[in-house]
Amino acid sequence: MELNYRGRCWKFGDNVGVDGDMMPLEFALQRETRLDVLAPYAMTGLDPDFPQKVRSHDIVVGGKRFAQGNPHIQGLLGLAAHNVGLVCESIPRGSLRNALNAGLPLLPACPGITQRLESGDELEVDFRSGRVRNLTQNWEQTFDPLPAALLDIILAGGWQPALKRRVEEMLARGAAQPT
Amino acid sequence: MPQTITEKILSRVIGRAVTPGEIIYPEPDLITTHDWYVVNFDSALQALGVDRLYAPEKLLISTDHEPVAVSRQAAERQHAVRAIVRKYGIEHFYDVGRGGHGHIFPMELGYVAPGMLVLAYDPHVTNYGAVGCLGVSLVVEISEVLACGSAWIRVPDTVRVNLQGTLQPGVTVRDVAQRMIVDLGSDLVDYTVVEFGGPALAAIDVDRRMTLCNTPVEIGAKSSLFETDQITEAWLKPRIGDRFEHIRSDPGANYKAAIDYGLGLIEPQVAAPPTPDNVVGVSTVAGTKVDYAFIGSCANSSLADLRDAARILRGRKVSAGVRLIVTPGTQQIAAEAAAEGLVKVFIDAGAVLTAPGCGPCAGGRIGPLAPGEVSINTGTRNDPGRLGPRDAIYLASPLTVAASAVMGRISDPREFVH
Repeated sequence: MELNYRGRCWKFGDNVGVDGDMMPLEFALQRETRLDVLAPYAMTGLDPDFPQKVRSHDIVVGGKRFAQGNPHIQGLLGLAAHNVGLVCESIPRGSLRNALNAGLPLLPACPGITQRLESGDELEVDFRSGRVRNLTQNWEQTFDPLPAALLDIILAGGWQPALKRRVEEMLARGAAQPT
Repeated sequence: MPQTITEKILSRVIGRAVTPGEIIYPEPDLITTHDWYVVNFDSALQALGVDRLYAPEKLLISTDHEPVAVSRQAAERQHAVRAIVRKYGIEHFYDVGRGGHGHIFPMELGYVAPGMLVLAYDPHVTNYGAVGCLGVSLVVEISEVLACGSAWIRVPDTVRVNLQGTLQPGVTVRDVAQRMIVDLGSDLVDYTVVEFGGPALAAIDVDRRMTLCNTPVEIGAKSSLFETDQITEAWLKPRIGDRFEHIRSDPGANYKAAIDYGLGLIEPQVAAPPTPDNVVGVSTVAGTKVDYAFIGSCANSSLADLRDAARILRGRKVSAGVRLIVTPGTQQIAAEAAAEGLVKVFIDAGAVLTAPGCGPCAGGRIGPLAPGEVSINTGTRNDPGRLGPRDAIYLASPLTVAASAVMGRISDPREFVH
């Protein structure tokens, strides 16, 4: 899986709620995790047309406290289902873990970035180096990327595949010798 | 390099000096989960092909979310939990009638010592910070710790809060906890450990330290803890003996921020729906009619909290049309409350006691609200729907909840306590 995304910007503001804004709460209460079920509802609390219009490798850009609220994974799975990337000014720790669990590439700490782009801008984001290029407004800026250990989780496809790999390695070594 | 308490704990666990921001895979000293996440971790391990725990001796399970099964589904789940406990050979299992709330009784029973790292399923494991222990919640990723011994955490920054001054009559540490998360704000405490110290600690006992450690997680803190002092030592020594060691940050340790926080001007605080940080002074919501009051939860079910409630309820009656539920945190607290006569005070007032544990706060499985009812309680959260459809939950101190139960409407406890 490569970690360089080029696509259109979908900009949202501060305090986007993981329940309601990003995904109807009922899916969290049902513990629904199937991507095909969640995909048609992604971000519909803020933009009902998002699931129809978004394309693979587009970039969702959030402000401060993106995906705030009770740390339910469904809103992050909704984004992962569309194969988009996430760039935000900040994200609460529960939702950061859930983004990794969902295998969603992200730059979690990009202060001020919502001031420098608009929805529809053509963006190129390298999640490995942290470089963001705005091809429409002609600038580039580098933010802190995720540490390598967390990029590995995204490259594995999320927490569950990463854990499966870790367990298989552990069992192969002999169960008495975990990492 | 001078270190914070959190850096000291994580450095000891992984065997080298840690740096804030780095990703580590620490093996905890203790792992906890509760009755609602046992069947689930067992299923997760089965799906991975794992048939034994990495360290079963480290796992403590408490039946606190639904200690007395109130449905067939719950009874069957408890039955399944007991079988899973036997299958993995889990020694530290506290079923109904044994421990009580898993964020409290392990401290009473000597499982928790200063300087320990505890990883848990449930977010309010931060309570253990009351005795200088770092408790961190991983929610479902606790399955990875059970299977492989560790899971990733990012070494957090620390925000130091120096508590100063003296509380006014009728104001409790719960009011401080609610006000403080607003004053600190989520932008500051996000990902951090909130570390408490300062001269006011001398007047804050271990019971009340749990309350202060319970709340910062609501606005995104990774955890919260107190430096140890003579109060910690006096409380823990009889429980853990020579395992007691003080833990404090080094002079010159690197804090993200150090804040002096005064207690003297704080008034009784109420968190109105829909979030725990939607906090206002009690006068703003005073007069709101309530149907239901509850004193308990991992935030406020200690003996100190029950004594607070009894100060107001002694010799008074809960208002007609209001039901008051009191849930002592643990078996020990329930026994001490009975020995002190507090239980009689509650019963005489027309309150009802439930089994030690979370009480109604755990999603309203015990004692839910009818649609449209209003509750004032000492629970941890007030998300709409937590206790019933179209509910309205106000969070407050045991004093404010008891006063409101007596009056039938949200009331200022200072009218009762002088």
